[in-house]
Amino acid sequence: MKFRNYVLGAGLGLALATTSCKKVLNVAPEYALDGSQIFTSLTDYEYSLTGTYSLLRQNGYYGNGSTGTGAWSSLPDMMGDDLLQTNEDLGNYGRLSNYTFTPNETTVSTAWTAAYNVITQANITIRGIDRFQSANAQKVNRIKGQALALRAMAHFDLLRYWGSDFERNSTGLGIPYVTEVNAFAKPSRLTVKDTYDRIFADLNVAETLLANVDAPINSASSKANIDLTAVRALLARVYLYSKNYTQAEAYATQVITAAPLAAASNFANIWKDGSQSEVIFALVYSNISEGNPHAQVHTASLNRNCYRPTAGFMNLFADKTADVRYSANVASRSTGTGAAIVTDPASTITRKIVNKHIGKGTSVDNVVNWKVLRTGEMYLIRAEARAMQQGKETLALADLNSLRAARVSNYTAVNLSGQALIDAIFTERRKELFAEGHRWFDLKRTSRTITRTDNVGAFSGLQSALTSASKVWVFPIPQGEIDANPNIRTQQSPGW
Amino acid sequence: MVKPLLNLLLGLLISSCCFAQGRTVNGKVTAKADGTPLPGVSVMVKGTSNGTQTDAQGNFGLDAPLSAKVLTISYLGYKTQEAVITAGTISITLDDNRQSLSEVIVTGYNAQSEREIAGSVATIKAEQINQVPIASFDQALQGRAPGVLVQASSGQPGAAANVVVRGRGSILGSTNPLYIMDGIEITAADFATINTQDIADVTILRDALATAQYGSRGANGVVVISTKQGRAGRAIVRYDAQFGRSTAPDSKVTLMNSAQKLDYELANGNPNGWTADQIAVLKQTNTDWKDVIFKTGITKSHNLSVSGGVDKTKYFVSGSLFDQSGTVLTTGLKRYNGRVNLSSGTQDFDFGLNSSYGYSNFSNTSEANTVNASPLNAIRWINPYLTPYSPDGSYTESVTGQPNPLPYLLENNNSRGQLKLVGNVYAVYHVPVVKGLYAKVNGGVDYTSNEITNFISPVIGFNQPGGRGALTRGYGKLTRYTLTSSIGYNKKIDQDHSISATLFNEIVSAKSNSFRFTGYGLGGAFENESGITPGTATNNFIPVVAGGGGADPNNPSALLGPNALLSYFANVKYNYKERYFVESYLRRDGSSRFGADRRYANFGSVGVSWIASNEDFFAPVKSIFSDLKLKASYGSAGNQPVTADFLPRELYGRAVYNGVSGLVQSQLNNPELQWERRTTFNTGLEFTAWNGRIGGSFDYYNALTSNLLLNQQLSRTVGRTSLISNSGKLRNSGIEASLNVDVLKLQDFDWNVFANFTYNKSKIVALLPDQNEIIDGIYINRVGEKLNQLYMVRYVGVNPANGNSIYLDKNNNPTETYSSNNRVLVGSAETPYFGGFGSSITYKGFEASAFLSFVKGNKILNYDRSNVEYPYAADNLSADLLREWRTPGQVTDIPSPNNIYIAETTRFVEIGDFLRLRNATISYSLPKTWLSRVKVNSLRVFVQGQNLVTWTKYRGFDPEYATGNLIGAQYPALRTITAGLNIAL
Repeated sequence: MKFRNYVLGAGLGLALATTSCKKVLNVAPEYALDGSQIFTSLTDYEYSLTGTYSLLRQNGYYGNGSTGTGAWSSLPDMMGDDLLQTNEDLGNYGRLSNYTFTPNETTVSTAWTAAYNVITQANITIRGIDRFQSANAQKVNRIKGQALALRAMAHFDLLRYWGSDFERNSTGLGIPYVTEVNAFAKPSRLTVKDTYDRIFADLNVAETLLANVDAPINSASSKANIDLTAVRALLARVYLYSKNYTQAEAYATQVITAAPLAAASNFANIWKDGSQSEVIFALVYSNISEGNPHAQVHTASLNRNCYRPTAGFMNLFADKTADVRYSANVASRSTGTGAAIVTDPASTITRKIVNKHIGKGTSVDNVVNWKVLRTGEMYLIRAEARAMQQGKETLALADLNSLRAARVSNYTAVNLSGQALIDAIFTERRKELFAEGHRWFDLKRTSRTITRTDNVGAFSGLQSALTSASKVWVFPIPQGEIDANPNIRTQQSPGW
Repeated sequence: MVKPLLNLLLGLLISSCCFAQGRTVNGKVTAKADGTPLPGVSVMVKGTSNGTQTDAQGNFGLDAPLSAKVLTISYLGYKTQEAVITAGTISITLDDNRQSLSEVIVTGYNAQSEREIAGSVATIKAEQINQVPIASFDQALQGRAPGVLVQASSGQPGAAANVVVRGRGSILGSTNPLYIMDGIEITAADFATINTQDIADVTILRDALATAQYGSRGANGVVVISTKQGRAGRAIVRYDAQFGRSTAPDSKVTLMNSAQKLDYELANGNPNGWTADQIAVLKQTNTDWKDVIFKTGITKSHNLSVSGGVDKTKYFVSGSLFDQSGTVLTTGLKRYNGRVNLSSGTQDFDFGLNSSYGYSNFSNTSEANTVNASPLNAIRWINPYLTPYSPDGSYTESVTGQPNPLPYLLENNNSRGQLKLVGNVYAVYHVPVVKGLYAKVNGGVDYTSNEITNFISPVIGFNQPGGRGALTRGYGKLTRYTLTSSIGYNKKIDQDHSISATLFNEIVSAKSNSFRFTGYGLGGAFENESGITPGTATNNFIPVVAGGGGADPNNPSALLGPNALLSYFANVKYNYKERYFVESYLRRDGSSRFGADRRYANFGSVGVSWIASNEDFFAPVKSIFSDLKLKASYGSAGNQPVTADFLPRELYGRAVYNGVSGLVQSQLNNPELQWERRTTFNTGLEFTAWNGRIGGSFDYYNALTSNLLLNQQLSRTVGRTSLISNSGKLRNSGIEASLNVDVLKLQDFDWNVFANFTYNKSKIVALLPDQNEIIDGIYINRVGEKLNQLYMVRYVGVNPANGNSIYLDKNNNPTETYSSNNRVLVGSAETPYFGGFGSSITYKGFEASAFLSFVKGNKILNYDRSNVEYPYAADNLSADLLREWRTPGQVTDIPSPNNIYIAETTRFVEIGDFLRLRNATISYSLPKTWLSRVKVNSLRVFVQGQNLVTWTKYRGFDPEYATGNLIGAQYPALRTITAGLNIAL
């Protein structure tokens, strides 16, 4: 019995002794990496760059979800006059498309945070990368150039909603421009001019860096990343907004040379990701778990038609069959899940849907690449830029006719000038860039007036007009930002 | 085998030497409650160390000197009693002692007598919770103990409640108490696979002294669960069964019927485009969608246990089946449990094993969301003029985007199989040479695994890749070890002084991981993995896989991973004349959740108690006040963040873009993060009076949480909204009172009433250095104000002239313009007043009891109501909208549909007060005289009702909700009536 007691006593003592080991607290995450232990090589910077692109997919940027629609994919068209809210919408975005939202609006705050989230990841990609310059300059150029371009693009996208106007030297309210990784920064809004200065600075450096890289960024079959051509396309767009027409024209020309328009026979295929023709930069959505850019307009899988094309928009197409863009933009579909999508413009089905973002190939799940930049826009930028310059009206007209010729079979060139030409270019923008996230901004930078005529008032709350005096043209700083950032508190957009 | 012989010899020796002047006293001890013989009862000759124990049949024989006159009979859990020695067999019945300070309470690592406890504890006995027909035992604690607020937000079978002890002491850290079962930490809010009937008692530790033994985890209180143990003696077999039915309560929000809805649509632009002919047809149909998905739930429960023992070897073995279907179609829970509790030992050693094995299968429906496919939302939003099925037998599809709820219940399957093993092994060694010195090791594990199945039928799974449904199968597990080692020493120095000291070391270490896959393209003969179509580059059926460190396969978070706690602590107790007690804890805790230099923190507590009733000066009133204890304690306990295991680190998670792997920052780092600390002062008294007929307690506490974990709001220009940091102070103070009165105590008739009441007041003392408020959505926490106040603009009515909403601005002037600048504090989501009360009447074998609980003073944003008052005419709406403003001059309370609609105003803020009849029971215990003939110890039959009536002004299904924002799809608490029997052989 005594011996047994000793054995048990020893066992207890052993148990006591072993438990005093402090190593038990030294545990490490298994499914994430500790930030203090990475960014030791360019490989990690490359990972971070890939991560930056992936963040553009998030809800609120190009992605759609219940907590915020794609602010730079579906929302600009929902808020314009080419789409109209239907009774299938469930009211999720009615406050936005009917201009009754407040600074508490989730979609507004989600868009704001999402864009700065992309910017932060871009800044992480840039932070400290220069120390590898001497060892591998071209690789640094390739990574840093893209990160700078992404940073500039996201800031420009913010300026499109929150900027008080788009004048190059405007002292109106712009946006905070973030270039440092500092969780505790409380930046103020810059002026529009200062915002532009920084956007151009980043894009210009990006252009230089991406001209001298170690490996190709895109290929003929993939336009998933921002390469030199894409930076130039971004510059063309920003110059157009800032009304620097000579530069807009020059950059658009460079892009058009590098990436000619698609053949008419290939146009519909672009929207099925079957062709990369004339695509300059398309954000890739690979599968349903990555979300999608446009389901809140037409949820293809459930055949829920939340926003439909307006009659006013459809009537812009004089000949719906000859113009390949009509059936790429608009299709007919009866109600009921599983109903077929009919692309024949002659279809008698009255329920019309946006056909541009249905899915890859034959899929009907809205999982499709978001075309951020493509050559069609470059023609319209150049046409507008030329039309706005003295003595370039002929060239502008030529661009308009070239674009139409590429889209419309048996097209006969027109001859327009003056305001008629400018109006025609803007109308062409609607037809060409329908449901590609341009309409709200195009209205904002031109007439600042919306008139909806199609079946408006069909149900309560649908708004038929927005005047240039409305505060809605300049988005409110989200309430959460106002509450958290004392330096922006006095800079709320006017009227909010 | 040697020792019993030795004892026998020793006993013989003692008895033989006393034999000359003595005699043998014989007797039998039984329990007063049910007449069962009590084995192992200590029978002593009063004032001596001469005594024995009863045998398995409750009999004893004691050799006592002729001078002995009185026996003292004592037994754990029963009132100690004295009996005069008489000739023949003395018959002694022991009464249980729920109102006496002599009760022994398991407060954690050891059992303490209630007398010596200086801390604040509340005990809930088995009989109060064992028969409650709810799977998760925490729901049965509602209203039972002062200071403990239990709110069940869901009636889904198996759902856990939200338990808060003495007010929410943390904003971002855990507010769940720590749950300890037989010394082992078990996962909070995951009890559905634990058999409630195995629980012997639940002790809730509330103040810093009581919780100090769990210092690093005890800030939110500790719930100590002891499971049933056998006792030496004849084997007792118990069988308990009950059967019952559950129904859903009515909602206080009335929806439009078909005629009303169609008229409403026509008045609001006819959004669905009906023609006059269609309307005439549609008006013929009027579907109450509640009836389509609600049904009568069935509860069945069987529980069988055997317990007994010989000498130090005791056992308790049980098996149970619990089968409950919910009030929503296809929802329910089936549970199978087994338990073996075993203890044995030698003279110097005690060993034991407690083990529970459980498997549950849950079938759930989605809740607490605003998803329109959630059946609990769909029944409110789908139009009443639709039928569930079309004439051709297929499911009706709405012309609006609102799905038909029925196929989501009948065609889909959302189930979870949970395996839960909780077990511990302990050994105690009493060092023979040094009396009072002992060493103890208790080690155990809480293992939970969940296998989830989410089957989305191809019938409605058009939105899945490839459009033909999806099958998700996932598996996750959590293993948590607890190992506690201690060395203790008890010493009674002389008659008056006794002291004990214990040193502890404890390690708690948890590890979890999970994974899942989703396959697509279901079809053919199978609804399982065999039905998945292999993915190709073109068919869109490529499966998705995911995994991570979290235990939930639905959310395999990368931010979770292993975590561990390491603690060293000491406990010293001293008492003088069993009158004055002093107790203290000192401890040092380390947590892997904090950065290397913030890892350790010290906590401590001290408490004193004074049994005033033992003082000589008390003697004159002793006949009235049998016991009176005064106590006070002060000390600190810790709390950790719960959302992630690696908050001090900047983390990067995997991201994939265009098929290429990358990294994104998934967490900002806060290396300064440290323990949240709750310092509590507690004082109170406990008393019994009039010979135990009245018992009660009163406590006052004042707890200050410092280093409060808060979401420090960041400028969104850093791409994130907030960062968890230690800043701020929060005070919770309050009173707790309980009273238990045996109003009548006659030969055959007992009438008992009981009540408990808690008042808790929270106050934000400080926030970040440069801030005096933090606004987080609809909540604000402002210095000087209560915790979690709703912060919104006040809505006061409708302007009859134009139908616009009228709000109040900051200066109380009416305005029609909504501005977030006019937000004010409109009440706290936290509950200040709560409690429970009830009564029981016993007449011979009959017993009738009722128990009610209440909460008062909290506010709820009823988003659920907003969901049907948002004037979206296409889908169904609240009938209240029939009153909406339409013509100038109309006086109404519902604004024009053209008025800008804002849900986050006081229009939807409601008072959360309610009083609920939690339980009402009528039972009959058959007379012993009948039962003894068929060799049955006791037989009781009962009928009980759970949640039978709720009195509330809240406009929804159920006001019981743990947060201030009821967003939608509420699964209301079950109203259950069961009948059952308890039999003991």
